[in-house]
Parts: sequence; C-alpha cells; structure tokens
Amino acid sequence: MTPPLTLDFVAEKMNEFGTADLVRSNRIRIHTTPEKVSNAIKYALDTLGCDRLVTISTVDNGRTFELLYHLIGPHRTVISIAVEVPRETPDIISMSGILPPAGIYERQIHDLFGITFRGHPGLSKIILNEDWPPDEFPLRKDWKKNPDTYYGGIRKEGV
Amino acid sequence: MAAPLQCLSQRLVNWARIKSPWITLFNSGACNACDIEIIACLMPRFDIERFGILAKGSPRHADILIVTGHVTLKQASRLRRVWEQIPEPRYVIAMGACGASAGAFHGLYHVMERVEDVIPVDVYAAGCPPRPDEIINAVVTCLNLLKEDQVHGGKEWRQRRVREIMEPMERKAGI
Repeated sequence: MTPPLTLDFVAEKMNEFGTADLVRSNRIRIHTTPEKVSNAIKYALDTLGCDRLVTISTVDNGRTFELLYHLIGPHRTVISIAVEVPRETPDIISMSGILPPAGIYERQIHDLFGITFRGHPGLSKIILNEDWPPDEFPLRKDWKKNPDTYYGGIRKEGV
Repeated sequence: MAAPLQCLSQRLVNWARIKSPWITLFNSGACNACDIEIIACLMPRFDIERFGILAKGSPRHADILIVTGHVTLKQASRLRRVWEQIPEPRYVIAMGACGASAGAFHGLYHVMERVEDVIPVDVYAAGCPPRPDEIINAVVTCLNLLKEDQVHGGKEWRQRRVREIMEPMERKAGI
C-alpha cells in the first residue's frame, strides 16, 4: 500500500502553483490561480500519483466563487486544488479534456452558479428543468425567488 | 341511491377492478423513504398481493397511481404525462407530507407546492413516511371511492358534496 502524502512533500512539489496547507489529517489544499489550475491538476495527476476526481465543489463566499477540485489516488490523501473565480466574469477553463469525469460536475456548476467553462464540449442543462430561465442561478447567495417569474414546470392554471 | 343499470360485461369489469386494483409508483423527487415503505408493503410481512393489490411497472396497466414525494419542476411535466397514460377510471394517492404540501422541501427553488397543482389527487396518505398499513388503508379508501363513483356515475359528486358542506359555513362566517 502506498504511504500517505505529507504536507511538506506536497508543498515542495507544488511550490510553483501556490501555497499548500493541511485542512485535515488526510486533506491538503493548494491555493492556486485560474491561469495555473490546468497545469496544477495535470501535475497532480502525473507526479503526485492522483488518479481520480472525487468531486468539484463550489463556494459562493460573497466576494468570489471558490472552486475546489478534489483529487485522490492510491495514497488515500485528498489533494484539493482551490481556485478563486471573480463574480463579475465567472469564467474558467474546462478540465473535461484531461479529466473526463469533470465534465458532468462542470455542467452542474454551470446550472446552479452560472460559471462558464471554456472549452467544454456541451454545457447544457443537467440538473434544472429544461425551461428554467437562462439568467437565474439559484445557488448564488444574492439570488432570491421572484414571485412574478415563471420558473418552468407546469402552470397551475392548467390543472 | 341505487346503481344505474349496467350491462353484464360492465358489471363484471367493475367487480374485477374492485377485487384486484393494480397500482403503479411514481417517484417525483422523494427522499426514498416513501419508496422503502412501499417495498415493505410488497414484502411478506404486509404482503399486499394477498388482497389482490399488484404493483405494475407500466402506468398503462394500472388503476391507481401512487405519487411519492414532492414534485420537482423537472418531474412535473413527466408526472402529468404518466398520469395521462393511465386508463379511466384512474385514482391518485399522494403519499406523505411532501405530497400534501412539499413537507420539508416547501418553498425551495425547484419544487411545486403540492401534487394537486399538477394532477388531481383523490386520497392523501398522511405521515412522513406513511406506514405500510396506512398505504393499504389509502388503497382501500380509493376502492370505496371507486364503488361510490360507480353509483354516482363519475367523480363530480364529491366536489358537489364539499360545496354543499362548505357554502352554509362560509355564509355563516360571512366570507
């Protein structure tokens, strides 16, 4: 069995991409920038022995959107690569080319947060209904349900 | 009120329908607890097949539709389509608190308020989730409604009855 990765080892290896810190005993977070995220994930896949994506989680912290790519491998250490995307231009490069399972998470994030992934082969609706209004993103913190807007589904008068 | 005169084949069909109601399930976005209770109904402890109640996979074979859970916006049009495929006379049971008022999910961004907003509901099974005996009770209530509807020739008498009860009360309250 491969031994778990240590913080010092990861921090030294991922030095060029950003700072690393230990979130929990088996979870190391690397703070990087949107330009370097593609290379950081490629590096973690090739050199650190990560071979799969757990999930992509998104946080709306009020100022920016924070994307976390959680990668894991036989060493059982989760490498979380954190990127901050500005709220005004929510736009980042798609990982579906080097990490095929990332595509389906990116479609979900596009639905719920309105972040555009450049280079994604098909950014269509996956989790919301097909007739959901295009400029409403329900998991943003500043989103409120508007009683006058029609959100799709079925109209009550039709029954 | 006496039953209207029906031909023999019609009486036979009605008799068979009451003896063996076929149900179909539709999960419109539930948390799976209601579905587990329905599975418990089919298992040997409750075993609803001894009453002739049979769970079918296709809505085209069913008499009673059981809707488990609140209706998400995405499932609303699908639920309507499933309901339209059930041959008449069709009956709908809305299961649990979610079927009546979306329960714990009330007011969420992707949820219809009630099952009644999408399709007409005949029986509500209360609980979160309802116990298997309550589900059996709901099906039996449905069969009693079916019997009465045959006597009255349709479902309209129920709304008339509600109006007869409600109107004097509303007049008294001055609504």
